[in-house]
Amino acid sequence: MARSNEVNLNECKMVVPLNTWVLISNFKLAYNLLRRPDGTFNRHLAEFLDRKVPANANPVDGVFSFDVLIDRGTSLLCRIYRPATAEEPQPNVAELEKPVAAEVVPVIIFFHGGSFAHSSANSAIYDTLCRRLVGLCKAVVVSVNYRRAPENRYPCAYDDGWTALKWVNSRPWLQSQKDSKVHIYLAGDSSGGNIAHHVALRAIDSGIDVLGNILLNPMFGGQERTESEQRLDGKYFVTLRDRDWYWRAYLPEGEDRDHHACNPFGPNGRSLEGINFPKSLVVVAGFDLIQDWQLAYVDGLKKAGQEVKLLYMEQATIGFYLLPNNNHFHTVMDEISKFV
Amino acid sequence: MKRDNNHLQPNPDPSSSSSLGGGSSAGKAKLWVEEATQQDCGMDELLAVLGYKVKTSDMAEVAQKLEQLEEVMCNVQDDGISHLASETVHFNPSDLSTWLQSMLSEFNPPSSFDPFGADGTATATALDDSFLCGPAESSTLSTLDFENNNRQHQKSGQQIFEEASCSDYDLKAIPGKAIYSQNTQTQPPTHDSSSSSTHNIVKPEKRLKSSSGSHSDIFPPPPPPAGAASYGIPSDSIRPVVLVDSQENGIRLVHALMACAEAVQQNNLNLAEALVKQIGFLAISQAGAMRKVATYFAEALARRIYRLYPQNPLDHSLSDVLHMHFYETCPYLKFAHFTANQAILEAFEGKKRVHVIDFSMNQGMQWPALMQALALRPGGPPAFRLTGIGPPSHDNSDHLQEVGWKLAQLAETIHVEFEYRGFVANSLADLDASMLDLRPTEVEAVAVNSVFELHKLLARPGAIDKVFSVVEQMRPEIVTIVEQEANHNGPVFLDRFTEALHYYSTLFDSLEGSASGQDKVMSEVYLGKQICNVVACEGVDRVERHESLTQWRNRFTSAGFSPVLLGSNAFKQASMLLALFAGGDGYGVEENNGCLMLGWHNRPLITTSAWKPANNTSPTSTITY
Repeated sequence: MARSNEVNLNECKMVVPLNTWVLISNFKLAYNLLRRPDGTFNRHLAEFLDRKVPANANPVDGVFSFDVLIDRGTSLLCRIYRPATAEEPQPNVAELEKPVAAEVVPVIIFFHGGSFAHSSANSAIYDTLCRRLVGLCKAVVVSVNYRRAPENRYPCAYDDGWTALKWVNSRPWLQSQKDSKVHIYLAGDSSGGNIAHHVALRAIDSGIDVLGNILLNPMFGGQERTESEQRLDGKYFVTLRDRDWYWRAYLPEGEDRDHHACNPFGPNGRSLEGINFPKSLVVVAGFDLIQDWQLAYVDGLKKAGQEVKLLYMEQATIGFYLLPNNNHFHTVMDEISKFV
Repeated sequence: MKRDNNHLQPNPDPSSSSSLGGGSSAGKAKLWVEEATQQDCGMDELLAVLGYKVKTSDMAEVAQKLEQLEEVMCNVQDDGISHLASETVHFNPSDLSTWLQSMLSEFNPPSSFDPFGADGTATATALDDSFLCGPAESSTLSTLDFENNNRQHQKSGQQIFEEASCSDYDLKAIPGKAIYSQNTQTQPPTHDSSSSSTHNIVKPEKRLKSSSGSHSDIFPPPPPPAGAASYGIPSDSIRPVVLVDSQENGIRLVHALMACAEAVQQNNLNLAEALVKQIGFLAISQAGAMRKVATYFAEALARRIYRLYPQNPLDHSLSDVLHMHFYETCPYLKFAHFTANQAILEAFEGKKRVHVIDFSMNQGMQWPALMQALALRPGGPPAFRLTGIGPPSHDNSDHLQEVGWKLAQLAETIHVEFEYRGFVANSLADLDASMLDLRPTEVEAVAVNSVFELHKLLARPGAIDKVFSVVEQMRPEIVTIVEQEANHNGPVFLDRFTEALHYYSTLFDSLEGSASGQDKVMSEVYLGKQICNVVACEGVDRVERHESLTQWRNRFTSAGFSPVLLGSNAFKQASMLLALFAGGDGYGVEENNGCLMLGWHNRPLITTSAWKPANNTSPTSTITY
């Protein structure tokens, strides 16, 4: 076992820049400490180790942010990122919720990753990513601080996503000038991608229009062990064992991975045929062991006649979008800006 | 995209950018800039943005440590990993190299690793061995771990400490009013030393000759520039905001308040007056925290407009009462005491005689918990000496003495040798080390403690420097500081006003959930006095000169102190303490490079940090920036 690990470590070191390797390996190490074999989670240590940043109403690189408590009952916070304008380089803190000026302003509701258990909207890695999206898409980004597993299982994360969607949709100051409607996109990485899908599902027939879904390495799975899972298990930072742990932590007790939350096109999934589902941009990393499930997801959308674009990044590992030091990052950012 | 302290506050008022408080501050500002540049030198920028400080030149080594740890953790059973997770105390995860090294040291004998090669290697001889478990430099002390009833993980030396420690910080025993309820006496206790095993000394209170502004001859204050006190070091430009109230009226109220403040700044007093009245009307229609906050800010603005400055200082008995209610209502003071005590307790490990110098004595509410923890220490408590410093009371009562007597009584019941002296002083800057009867470092270990006091020194030029110098002379093992996490000391009035408005709005919002009644009202009055001071006062009267952690870090490091890190054990216990507060769902603890912050809905509000003079070397968990 030790020997094959050596091989693994060397392999994945060769496909990512060193600082990326350090970053993701560090997460992997920390996360190993936090997951307990009995299914509980060391939340105190998790919060201690997570690197967080405060919101900042002073623009940095043209983006400012502020937190909003959108549901007191669940302490649901969102962090809102807005572009500073040329006319108003220093926003008045009394006017953080000033109406958006342009004809069309995309509002991206972002769900951070962390396999449903880790990270927060104010985690440094996600604060950074959201700031990039603002400039990239000339958008307002709303990052949702959803409740996490295992303390809060399915469907809490989806409920929080839905609450955020309704809240965003009902903000007059987020309406585009053109049609006085909020132009909403859902986005997320890892578990966030999963949440985006399910929130979009809930939005169907609700009267709330979601213009598009952006899923970065979305977290899906199933009971079956797929080829990619077996081939890539433990090779690029992620193991099947930890994937299983997170599903056990998120799904209702007693449920298996064919639950529709985990496997939306599986035996318990809902058919999307004939449904008004938003167009999707799905990014899959070639070294992600769950890619078979992600590809199956794309297939499922296609078969249901839904619009979907697949970006398969052959040489990418998980987390490649966290640092702008590789080509995959730039390719993906490019595609996202075109999509929105 | 760097979000570090290199950004200077955007300053619309060019004239005030030169208002540094005196000659020494200009030098310090330069030092700060140099240090900041040095800090960036060689750091991997991409990781720095994500919160990790790794020098580019160290990257390969860090990678190697990660690999080694991975290997070790694969070979070790689940037990080993769970030990690392629940027993080990972690420090400053931003400093990846050190953090990884400390974990590696858990698995390897100390002799094979010499991470720093500097202070803090296994020169543990000066300390009592039973308190040291594992290599000194790795800063892995055993933790006070509640949940772990399973005492299977027994390392030599750790064993004793852990078993006793589960009751050290029994959260239920954190005293509030309880200590001061029935047993209060006003006359000095009569000690029959033959019957009591402890020997409590409560020395007569000393009054420091307080002068109207300047301190001792040794530090003549530099001529202050017109109207400026020590703003000194430029602030970072982070402005955290959390909006908890999206009501339409709330926004109009904020607008009116800001407009009024702007009018005041421009000296357009007619407009300001009109706006203040409008604010009054708007506030009535508002509910909850926002109404109260607006009312306090409006009142403060009115005072400024009509030049009805508040009486300063406050009558002591009233401020005591307010302080106590604030302590009871919300967790801020408890968090402050708890985290400071944790750091002090750790710094006092193995010391037989200890001396705490408290700059913020008030009713001494911080000390019963520490004394109890010391009493339960394996090997017995140290001799505990406390020097309490506080402002004079108007009725000339010996309030500091009374506090000392109560603590002496407690000490007797828990069998801790106790000595106390109170000092009355108008300003901490009136203190000199010679007054404190300091004993040699080998004999007595010193801790200096300051909760919400240090910022007041920024009102007079040179005062903070004097105090830093005096603290250094005390040769403390540790200096624990708790301060408001806000920048209310910028040179521009409108900026200060805005910052304060957001800060106190958040603070008041956190009070809303707590039990209603007198406690809450008193807490609001307590905070209202601060608001009044920030907004209505100027010059030496404006004492609520809060500054952010970044700013305090700069001040401390410029003054020759290095950080003492607070770790995951303190973090965890503080988090658990917060969970005891009903309506406390919004509270959260955050770790920031070895300091702990308490916030409400992700907005940090108070910060605990710990320091020691840079030339003091002893095996506690320190790093130098």
